[in-house]
Amino acid sequence: MSERVFRFRLNGTEVEGRAEPRRLLSDYLRDDLGLTGTHVGCEHGICGACTIHLNGRAVRSCLLFACQVDGAEVRTVEGLADARDPLSPLQEAFWEHHGLQCGFCTPGMLMTAAELLETNPDPTEGEIREAISGNLCRCTGYVFIVDAIRAAADKLGARGAERQ
Amino acid sequence: MTEQARPSFIGARVKRLEDPRLLRGHGRYVADVRLPGALEVAFVRSEMPHADITAVDAGAAREHPGVVRVLTGSDELVAGREIRGDWRGEIWQTSAQPALAGDRVRFVGQPIAAVVATSRYVAEDAASLVVADYRELQPLTSARASLSDGAPLLHEGWTRNFFRHSHFLGGDPDAAFAAADGVLELRTATQRQTGMPLETRGCVADYDVVSGSLTVWMTNQMPSVVRTSLADVLGVEENRVRVVAPDIGGGFGVKAYLYPEDVVVCLLAMELGRPVRWIEDRREHLLAAIHARQQEHRVQVAYRADGKVLAIRAEVLVDSGAFSVHPWTAGLEAGNALSLLPGPYTIGDYECDAYAVATNKSPFGPVRGVARPAAALSTERAMDQVARATGLDPIEVRRRNLIDARDCPYTTVTGNLIDSASFQEALDRLCEVADYPQLRRQQAEAREAGRLLGIGVACYAEQGASGIHEYLRRGMPTIFGYETALVRMDPSGKVLVEVTTHSHGQGHETTIAQVVATRLQVPLQDVRVVYGDTSRMPYGMGTFGSRSIVMAGGAASAAADKVRLKLEQFAAHLLEISADDLETVDGAVRAKGAPFRSIPISELARAAYHQPHRLPQGMQPLLEAVSTYDTERGTGTWTNACHLALVELDPGLGLLDVQKYVVVHDCGVIVNPTIVEGQLHGGIAHGIGGALLEELVYDEWGQPLSTTFMDYLLPSATEVPRIEAHHIETPSPFSATGSKGMGEGGAIAPGPVLAAALEDALRPLGEVVVTELPLTPERVLRYVDEARGAAADASGDR
Repeated sequence: MSERVFRFRLNGTEVEGRAEPRRLLSDYLRDDLGLTGTHVGCEHGICGACTIHLNGRAVRSCLLFACQVDGAEVRTVEGLADARDPLSPLQEAFWEHHGLQCGFCTPGMLMTAAELLETNPDPTEGEIREAISGNLCRCTGYVFIVDAIRAAADKLGARGAERQ
Repeated sequence: MTEQARPSFIGARVKRLEDPRLLRGHGRYVADVRLPGALEVAFVRSEMPHADITAVDAGAAREHPGVVRVLTGSDELVAGREIRGDWRGEIWQTSAQPALAGDRVRFVGQPIAAVVATSRYVAEDAASLVVADYRELQPLTSARASLSDGAPLLHEGWTRNFFRHSHFLGGDPDAAFAAADGVLELRTATQRQTGMPLETRGCVADYDVVSGSLTVWMTNQMPSVVRTSLADVLGVEENRVRVVAPDIGGGFGVKAYLYPEDVVVCLLAMELGRPVRWIEDRREHLLAAIHARQQEHRVQVAYRADGKVLAIRAEVLVDSGAFSVHPWTAGLEAGNALSLLPGPYTIGDYECDAYAVATNKSPFGPVRGVARPAAALSTERAMDQVARATGLDPIEVRRRNLIDARDCPYTTVTGNLIDSASFQEALDRLCEVADYPQLRRQQAEAREAGRLLGIGVACYAEQGASGIHEYLRRGMPTIFGYETALVRMDPSGKVLVEVTTHSHGQGHETTIAQVVATRLQVPLQDVRVVYGDTSRMPYGMGTFGSRSIVMAGGAASAAADKVRLKLEQFAAHLLEISADDLETVDGAVRAKGAPFRSIPISELARAAYHQPHRLPQGMQPLLEAVSTYDTERGTGTWTNACHLALVELDPGLGLLDVQKYVVVHDCGVIVNPTIVEGQLHGGIAHGIGGALLEELVYDEWGQPLSTTFMDYLLPSATEVPRIEAHHIETPSPFSATGSKGMGEGGAIAPGPVLAAALEDALRPLGEVVVTELPLTPERVLRYVDEARGAAADASGDR
């Protein structure tokens, strides 16, 4: 099958990509680019483990073809904090509140939570639960994930207040 | 200085040491292992539940561009490669699961061919070109059908369709039933469910043709044991097999087996001399990873008017699928149900027949809780029915039947030795923290307003850290009675710990470090815990059965003590003081009562490696020790807990809204309360999924219908409520750390709790007995109709 060429920004860096039209974005990111932080849990759009940001919106990379990101801005979990930098406030809050166990759903959960906090900086518990209801976690029972996201909102809110 | 002044990390809410890599997406899971030149495998699976394979046409697949090899069940490479798991009991019939089915298939999803290609996409394309012809046989789709007269026999040489039958008789149930004030009967049922980790199975095999050594990255909870199993089945010398279980995305029991796919992937890598990789997809996982939980019980209960349960008679049928799994056998769930059905109660007269029945469904194995959810459903529903029959509160009935903690160690009627417990205290505490009287008032007010609120309660004792004695008693082919740890202090005084359990969410990198840092009196950040690579670690059993903090914690504690003793003996020599007069406190070995006479551990460590001339005569250089550990009597530990839920029923939609979920939990000494709470929350969420949502449905022809996450519903954040957990800490007298295993327990109680809550919520409509899980809207609506029908019958207007 002939390959498609496409250009996009990935975690802030320009990439020229090349893939078969049918290649899934999740496989492309993981296997071709080596960004294995994006996990694949069901390959049919239910579990949310493969969630990334496409032009700022949380989407499932297993439901997109790689070539569909042509011209787009893509952000993966590796883009939340550089490996040499401190964790982002959201990651820090997940650490602080035991919002992860096996770590498999975590990247997708973080990307969904990041989108939530960017669009709704002060969510209620109900809004948090609704927002992450498309990300399955089998380990935690969600209680500490909800706490972590709420704590991140507080932390980010306090930072925003400081800046003002 | 006193003992208490030693820094201790036991009981500290330490942030997990494993988290930063996982949060950054830098975990390394099996699917992340990329080897140059690796080939990918796609399996072709049976579409028939029970059939003879008459032909497999793989010609088109072989010619497909990019295909390297197509392997079918009749190929010489897989001939005789079978997986067996044989229980060592009286009444047992064996099965042998072929790596690839050649002549007969026994469940939909059983692998019949494997296609190896340059990419997964190509392998899947070619797999779809393989065509099998079948001669269909009668499928057996329920335990009752399998046991019925005239049912075809599922395996050669069998006399009836069960792997295992066990009979137990304890005390004198006949006399107890004769003396009872009342007898009631229940038929309970739980459906097929499974562990469903978010990461599917996977296996990457790399064979070095020259040295004859095989390295296998696997999603496996027990790397040592599976290495032995692989060596046996593959015929490779075990010292040339290396199993690596890297980060694993959840296990819950599903990844504690040798699977046929593992064998095939290794055989292909060995034949082709190239790395071969298989990453399961979710459909395959739903079809062919082990299933669990499907049981039917018939239970008779004899009770006294004062609410005391005197005796139980039970028949347990476990729908155990097509093959006995390795190493757990198909018999474990039936055996556990038989052993645990009397629950945490003083029931002295008990009789039970338990059958592990073979059916044309996916093989069956232990998953978080292993039979306890079904056993607790029967026991706890029985307690609730006794409450109704005697007019007592369900809490009061339990109080009158629970084992008195003062009688521990207590031997139950089935011979389980409960080390220590706080059954009564936990129940009292639950009533207090949940404010049970207030909940009843709230329920009464809601009923006045026409709303249907229900309260459910359940108690359990969670068997964990089972040791040599327990696995012998269970008749397991492998006695999983110990764990092992290696503790190595390097010349800089930093510590590396290798444990033989595997951590895939449980936080061993943190909790085991807390144990070792406390024993060695070094800073927590100086201890690094690793696991999962058989080329480095000593031999041990793995992670399952609520054992790690007790077994790996015990082994690590013992190995750390050996290293500490050596440090103290070395210091004694240097300080010219008897080792008995020394103690290790906060990074130094020092004289008791004269702390100024001390040597820092880092200095001793450097000298133990680089200045061997300073060691006392006969002492070897190096600071490392290996220790195995089993609990004191090999009987394990028993955690106890009580759960309570408040639900509201929507009788129109058949939906249960869990508004409150409270647990009082006693797992002995807690090493890290945050991690214990995380395990509890996760277990309860798993149990809520099992109680309300999850069901692997087969149709009457044996076709599985739950093959996507649209059909098999896992609980999401909108179904799982905020869970309140409260702790009691009754130390175990049998474990080194005083801790008790607790990883599975959360999943035991939600079924009976929510069944009781539904029954209670329905009471204003009519009296029903809720006995079947999961409580999907369809089942709930059936109970709603039944309740209304019962009320109509009672008022005589039908």
